[in-house]
Amino acid sequence: MNNYPRRITLQEWDARYVQLREAGMREPPYGGTLRRHVEEGDLRLRTLLFDNSSAALRLWNFLLTEEDRLREARTAGKKIVGTMKDLGTVPVMAYALPNVVAFYPDGAWWIPCVMELSEGLFGIADSLGIDEAFCPVRAMLGAFITEAHFPVPDLLICSAGATCDDFSAIAQRLNGLGYPIVWWEIPHRRIPDPDEERVELPGGFAAPASQVAFVREELERLRTVLEQFAGVPLNDGALSAGIARANEVRRLLAELRQLTFTAELCPLPALEMLIAEMLAIHFCSDQAETIEVLRELLREVRGRIEARRGVLEADAVRVFWVNPVADLQVMNLLEDCGGRICGTEYLFSHALDEIPENLPPMEALARMALADPMVGSAADRAVRICADVQRFGAEAVLISRIPGASHCATEGIIIAEAVRSRLRIPVLEIEVPPLSDSIKPTLRTRLEALIETSKELRKACCVPE
Amino acid sequence: MKTIVYVSPFVPQEWIAAHGLQPSRVLLEQTKRVAVSQPSAGVCPFARAFVAFALSVTDAAAIVATTECDQMRRAAELLAGESNAPLFLLNVPTTWQTTTAHRLYTSELERLSAFMIRLGGKAPTKEKLVDVMLRYDTLREEIRGARGSLSGRAYSEAISRFHRDGAADLPASRAAPSSRGVPLALLGGPLTGEHFRIFDLIEEAGGQVVLDGTETGERTLPRAFDRRRVHEDPFPELADAYFGAIPDAFRRPNSQLYHWLKGEVARRGIRGIILRRYLWCDTWHAEVQRMKEWSPAPVLDLDAGDDDCESRAASRIQSFVGMLR
Repeated sequence: MNNYPRRITLQEWDARYVQLREAGMREPPYGGTLRRHVEEGDLRLRTLLFDNSSAALRLWNFLLTEEDRLREARTAGKKIVGTMKDLGTVPVMAYALPNVVAFYPDGAWWIPCVMELSEGLFGIADSLGIDEAFCPVRAMLGAFITEAHFPVPDLLICSAGATCDDFSAIAQRLNGLGYPIVWWEIPHRRIPDPDEERVELPGGFAAPASQVAFVREELERLRTVLEQFAGVPLNDGALSAGIARANEVRRLLAELRQLTFTAELCPLPALEMLIAEMLAIHFCSDQAETIEVLRELLREVRGRIEARRGVLEADAVRVFWVNPVADLQVMNLLEDCGGRICGTEYLFSHALDEIPENLPPMEALARMALADPMVGSAADRAVRICADVQRFGAEAVLISRIPGASHCATEGIIIAEAVRSRLRIPVLEIEVPPLSDSIKPTLRTRLEALIETSKELRKACCVPE
Repeated sequence: MKTIVYVSPFVPQEWIAAHGLQPSRVLLEQTKRVAVSQPSAGVCPFARAFVAFALSVTDAAAIVATTECDQMRRAAELLAGESNAPLFLLNVPTTWQTTTAHRLYTSELERLSAFMIRLGGKAPTKEKLVDVMLRYDTLREEIRGARGSLSGRAYSEAISRFHRDGAADLPASRAAPSSRGVPLALLGGPLTGEHFRIFDLIEEAGGQVVLDGTETGERTLPRAFDRRRVHEDPFPELADAYFGAIPDAFRRPNSQLYHWLKGEVARRGIRGIILRRYLWCDTWHAEVQRMKEWSPAPVLDLDAGDDDCESRAASRIQSFVGMLR
């Protein structure tokens, strides 16, 4: 069997699956062919290119069976919390409880892409007055109404304050439809005044101690809510253990990112890396399995690096990607155009940074929550992006606008200017709708231009004076 | 006297005045343009007008921006280091039902105080704050009292002038407005100077605005002070009259807005609501359908872009009012 790493189509995966099974591949209970997900409606898989490893197969199957896991959890008597908007903080608390499963209904924003609009979620959102002027996360409203994509959570917790207007407005609309929501405030992170006590946050940002104290109080309020909900105490010991488990996921991802983004040959495609990173925010509803999935991916990546094998051409341009794409296919497109991902900021870098374990747990979580790149300024975010671009040796930055998203209206200019002035590398800003097929030729042209420009700059750097 | 300019109703006039500075909640002009590179796609026209204003203002000691929405929070960021006057970003929490949210707001007012003192303001004594609060409260009472004797436009302009200058500058000759027009509520975000024309369009169509629920209008006047509490401990009373009482769509939850509107619609016999929102304002946009489902009176959704097309708005208002007559 040819095990050389490469990106393959769904059709190629059919044959590959048979080969792997015959070769003795063992799968978790949620395993199986990728094809079955298409039969269940995930039509976009037909147009994607996937990594051909069994580790990638497990990752995809894990992602695409989350709904089943949530329903099984409910059947098993577990309580389900829908955590909304904060992308990484509240699930750490929820998973510290023995009988609670947490997930982000926000993740429904990818359903219209994955199901190629066949599910009608945008139509439902339209009928509720949330039209295409809003970010694709409006699909979440439809998913609540149909109950066809996730079970309606027993408890909804949503952060508000320094968040995007789209999500806040959509969550309020949901609330107005009769879904009770526990709101908590995340304030706009500001630079401490000279006479204020300053607290360093995970990821390199800083905040005034007063803001950290405020967020800690808000999280204490949520602790009480979760305790009452679960019917068991959520003490500091349990929280510390929960933080340690979350950190295990984060450490695995940190190593995966470091190895993949800095390897001479790209060992894992952009799409699989995007999905792997997403596991950090709520563990795809199974924290222990997330760890196993990441371990297997890491073994695959280490093996490929050791064998000096990669999935892309050796001269692929190293691109740093900002914001998640609404259409997954565009991650493939970048690679088709000669790029590879070397660094990302998908709006949840605070869910990738390790949570301090040498602090009282609520203090540590408050610092993590305030390190959210979206609660601070775009200038702050640009500083981190520039640092990570240098760390991973990226040659270009691609900013992917999310259609309708309030933060995308202004942040692109600020980030692009910062990158150009500090690093003098090319920056491209594109907008990606949930299905980008109609604009694919334009996107391709723009991505090719970015790749060509970067290669020219690479040549110029190599010319001896 | 040094002037502090701002556009948010959550910046208490009294707090600035008590520091010996002149508060001025300005009325923006949407048509004002400045020669700077600003993003356009997806930016709320009001946020853009605010940026244009802040970049061209020459007679202010400082600008206070706020965080009620992401667009304005990020507009403030575009100004960082670019505006002609120092900029202060006041964090206005969106949640309001908890003591922590109230504490955050009051701590932000204290931070604003320190900022104003650095600009040359003086920390107010209790007596000074009481005096200023009672003065402003009396002026607001005077303005509220004039509602029945002014046209919708005149009343809203009087409120706007009060926000800008701190004076109850009411028209000398007052005649009770015609009561023949269909009583309507105007609801939504802030108006700019040019947008007061909408009152005329409504009257020309046969309606009359009996409730200005825009951010510029009476909805965002703080509640009347409890005078006993003012004398006892003025600062918490000031904060509560603003933060605890002004209903708005951005608040989470925003049930206060609906509670307030329900009462006013019944009290004033309102037969229709015109919800005027800016293009790209997600906060108000998301309320349109909910408002339609909730409201006992019909709702007209009127969006406003960069270049308001008056004829389109007039035509829609005419149809709406015509249906109600």
